[in-house]
Amino acid sequence: MAPKASKGGKAAKQNEGPTEAEEPLQAVVFTDSHEGRFIPFTYSQPRCRLKLANTPLIEYTLEWLASVGVQEVFVHTAGNHSEQVEAYLEQSRWQDTFDSLRTITSAATSIGDAMRDLDEKGLMKGDFISVYGDLVANIDISAALSSHKTRRLKNKDAIMTMILREAGDYHRTKDQHNRQCFVIDSDTSRCIHYEQVRPRKSPRLDIPAEVMKDHVDIDMREDLIDCGIDICTPDSLAQWSDSFDWKRPRKDFVHGVLQDYETFGRTIHTHIVKEGYAARVNSLRAYDAVSKDVVSRWTYPYSPDMNMLADQTYQLAKGNVYREDRVTLARSSSIGRRTVLGEGSSVGEGSVIINSVIGRRCVIGKRVRVENAYIWDDAHIGDDTVVETAIVANEVSIGKKCHVKRGALISQGVKVADGVVVEENMRLAKIERDDDDEVVQGVTDPKIVGEGGEGFLIELNEEEEEVYEALLAGVQDMDLVEDDDDDSDFDSDDEDGAEYEHEMVPAARSGSFASVASNESEEGAELKRKKADFVRTATDSVLDGMTKKQNEDNIQLELQSHRLAENAEDSWIREAVATAFSRYIVALTENEEEPQKPKVAAEAAIMTNQRLITACVKEAGEQAEFLLFLQIDLLHRQQGGEVLLHAAYVLAIEDFVDSVGLQEWWDDSRSSRTQELQDLRDKAEGVVTSMVAAAAAESSEDEESGEDEDDEDEDDE
Amino acid sequence: MPSVMLAPTPGIATFLKHLKHNPVDASIENFVSLLKRRQIRSSRPCAIATTHLLLKVVATFRDRDVAKLVERIRSVGQQLIAAQPREMAVGNIVRRVLGLVREIAEDDADENPDSTSMGDSGYLPYSNLEPSGLPTHFSNFSPPKHGSALPQKSGLSQSDSNGGDDNSGQGAVAVEKQLDRRPPLLTSHTSYVASAMAPQVTSLFGLLSHPHTPSPTATPPLGTQSPVMKPGLTSRVLATIPDASAAKVDIKAEVLEGIRELLDELDQADDQIAAYALDHIHSNEIILTHTSSTTVQRFLLAAARKRKFTVIHAEAYPNDYLETHATIMQGRQKSAVGDDEDERWSPLTALGITVIMIPDSAVFAIMSRVNKVILSPHTVLANGGLVAAAGALTIAQAASVHKTPVIAVSGVYKLSPVYPFDTEELIEYGDAGRVAEFQDGEMVESIEVVNPLFDYVSADLVDLYITNLGGHAPSYLYRIVADHYRAEDVNL
Repeated sequence: MAPKASKGGKAAKQNEGPTEAEEPLQAVVFTDSHEGRFIPFTYSQPRCRLKLANTPLIEYTLEWLASVGVQEVFVHTAGNHSEQVEAYLEQSRWQDTFDSLRTITSAATSIGDAMRDLDEKGLMKGDFISVYGDLVANIDISAALSSHKTRRLKNKDAIMTMILREAGDYHRTKDQHNRQCFVIDSDTSRCIHYEQVRPRKSPRLDIPAEVMKDHVDIDMREDLIDCGIDICTPDSLAQWSDSFDWKRPRKDFVHGVLQDYETFGRTIHTHIVKEGYAARVNSLRAYDAVSKDVVSRWTYPYSPDMNMLADQTYQLAKGNVYREDRVTLARSSSIGRRTVLGEGSSVGEGSVIINSVIGRRCVIGKRVRVENAYIWDDAHIGDDTVVETAIVANEVSIGKKCHVKRGALISQGVKVADGVVVEENMRLAKIERDDDDEVVQGVTDPKIVGEGGEGFLIELNEEEEEVYEALLAGVQDMDLVEDDDDDSDFDSDDEDGAEYEHEMVPAARSGSFASVASNESEEGAELKRKKADFVRTATDSVLDGMTKKQNEDNIQLELQSHRLAENAEDSWIREAVATAFSRYIVALTENEEEPQKPKVAAEAAIMTNQRLITACVKEAGEQAEFLLFLQIDLLHRQQGGEVLLHAAYVLAIEDFVDSVGLQEWWDDSRSSRTQELQDLRDKAEGVVTSMVAAAAAESSEDEESGEDEDDEDEDDE
Repeated sequence: MPSVMLAPTPGIATFLKHLKHNPVDASIENFVSLLKRRQIRSSRPCAIATTHLLLKVVATFRDRDVAKLVERIRSVGQQLIAAQPREMAVGNIVRRVLGLVREIAEDDADENPDSTSMGDSGYLPYSNLEPSGLPTHFSNFSPPKHGSALPQKSGLSQSDSNGGDDNSGQGAVAVEKQLDRRPPLLTSHTSYVASAMAPQVTSLFGLLSHPHTPSPTATPPLGTQSPVMKPGLTSRVLATIPDASAAKVDIKAEVLEGIRELLDELDQADDQIAAYALDHIHSNEIILTHTSSTTVQRFLLAAARKRKFTVIHAEAYPNDYLETHATIMQGRQKSAVGDDEDERWSPLTALGITVIMIPDSAVFAIMSRVNKVILSPHTVLANGGLVAAAGALTIAQAASVHKTPVIAVSGVYKLSPVYPFDTEELIEYGDAGRVAEFQDGEMVESIEVVNPLFDYVSADLVDLYITNLGGHAPSYLYRIVADHYRAEDVNL
């Protein structure tokens, strides 16, 4: 570097004069995002070295940095693969491309730590660009840079500019599970509020009132791809250092800085790009989407035929088929559209490859069908095998007549024996990380990979999922498949809620919450959502009150205030109360220390909180509805039938419901809609029939005494 | 305010700056990545950048061996071409420089009175010929000076015979020169024999000993610059020369001089082409042109100073339309680089010309009113075809239906010796996002969007080429190719 610099200095003095004494544009690349979303592939390789369309991800990132005129790059690595990243960069062409390229290794466990580390080292001379090592972009940020600098001149407190790509309502490249909402002042493009809308939560924003007061024109945008490109200032680093517990650049940093605006007056701005491409490969789904974008030339010029690496020789043929030299294709094989074939790969007779990326030196057997799949280098796929929408990593060997189903992830070095079916969304790996985070060889599970295979199934345990949740601030989703119906973590306590959730699946697929739901639901999505929200919060509050054994009046008061705040309908209240009761009773019966009998529990619950019921249940129709809600909530619960029986009994005995109500409930088609509901209800049949019969007798004989006896007998049965 | 100074987006300007301050290998890398990233694109910037780079490559070349210099330029050229094979101006310039080096090396060898080494009484010493052939190498650097005026004669005067023969090449040169210079029957007769015999024998030799040498059939006809000088031969000959070292230093200086003249040529090409404007554009004509091109703009401006006519400008959406708009409004491209000093740019409308902008799709409808179509090629190919911005083919075909003459204006630097066996390969596919909005998620998801940047227009659709050497029929282009490129450099 030394001779370069001296030469440059001399020449600059001669030719350009002092005005050219600009500070070099610096950039930081975070190669470790401290997430585990690419497990199992990232066990042996850092994410930034995973190949996207046969080129390592970090290459795209650095290429883009070079293209925007960055001169000094700091690659920040942490975690398990630091040495790999460092070694890779050491022998790469980037050493010469940038004026300086330094790898910083630290023990950071979050982006926040990394930022604080940078601040400590004091490497940043001025404003710099911060990106992740999984960025694919071709956008021009000169406009963003210049507006950032002008802003900085005027106001030293404008500490960061986020670059966001407009992407419309639904977009495959946008993160569907972690919907980020930016509230932007449209005059100054200042970001005044930031929130992440989690799926299955109401897209309601808590915008501080003063924000509304201070800004006249506000854009609320949820249609942006956050590609993680930030123009940062040394002041923003200082902010990171000041708040030692911040971890994530958006949820903590942006949110935190915006919250402290009143105190410190620091601002964060946005720059919305309408042209060009920018996206992060931060999940497997994004991997799929960005691969498609690269192959379909949305990222031009960063498509395979650019031959980013010196040894690549891709050529583009019609239909976006990219082929490197020395690819052997059997005469009867068929290469469909949007396919990339790496050097030295061969495809056997009768094989069909569509919409896929095949790495280098892969051997694809005869009559194989590969569709929407990503097959990395040196993989071997046997004859008559079908691979659909899956990732098959380096040096994987798949036997003959296998079937790799959608969403399967087969990690490095796994061997799948002949005739094995790899089920949907399975993750196979050969190595794993043990408790000390050391890579160890896993124990082969012949049930999964067949006799003679190597590898085992990775189950992501609950605990790990939670870790993801914490780190990601988003829903853990490893699913490659577009329309996943993974509803593992949604609470199915609430039938109506569940219905609502099921409607959300198509909604999430094709648009915002509102747009599709309104098409599908007759009573209006808005109302439905509101209802679900209300029921949820109200249920929680009632349940909370009951568990804490609060005075029922207080509970009622609280419920009432909820009702008024939300302008809720009576039936919502009933639903909330019924749900709360059922949960409370169930909780009592399942109490670990002293489990109570359903009968006792039901009695205790209902008798202590009578007024809650009387407040909302009066008419026969309402009684029926209340019972229905109770029944729905008890579905799938242990002892659900028992609880229902006793609850119904107590309700009937205490005159909360009368025979008309019971009868109405019984006749209601909703109460016997599914077999499960039917089964549940059958338990309570005795109560209903006897009550109805008694009522009939009562009306004729006007006699009450026998009633109790009868019912008692009935429940003992 | 200096703090708003931004690091400029890389492009040709940063490359030229980089070239000044960095070692040549770093600059090559830089150029390669700029080409790959399409940050230097379109023929003129590519040509300028390549020329500057080669100037530096030659200037920093330390070895004294001409053969090694040729090899060095070749390998640099191969790297550049591999980076972006569709920017053919790069390859063109590399070949021009290679030709230059070979030419100078040969002349240098010729100038040394060592012809005795050739040993044959039938050949005349070169020194005898030199006085008349003095400007030989100059004519190669800047063909316009000679080539345009008297292509045939200057070609002959500067030497030589068919380039296919190597070992006896020098002999053949002599013979040919004799043929031209010396009318006496006897010598011409012997020379005829020699030239008739020699190629047959030597071409076989050549085939065996130098597999890369193109076969004699591929050699250009009369008017080629000079015989093929195999690097090996050159060095061998040079090694025998006593004052070889001094000569070689000169070679380098001469080559540098030649490359600088090449730069001048690039600089002047547009003006030279514009000088022909009045011959082709007449008063009250309706001229249709397409996309934005400085060459065409200058051409039309030159005519507009004297005559009134109407220009219909097809906008070339979606790839170049912004540039086209800028050209119409300001008379120059937004991204015009390098030549932004004192040149007076004015839009055609400032000179009272009516300019009508139409979308490409309206071309056919309007063609019946058009008197001439002027195209600006991206590359001109040896077979007379051309590669131009997408939309050019529609225009050319519409013009051919209406029997409207199609004129292509292009500097010689765009003329490539490559024969287009596969025209598909010449076409670059660009950013799909320019055709369909990336914002439209469903579109991106379900539709395949293709955005070709170029069209191939075959030779029969073009009526006339105007280069800085003058006007040529498409069928004559091979000749200009032969004038400018050495046969052995066609395949780098």
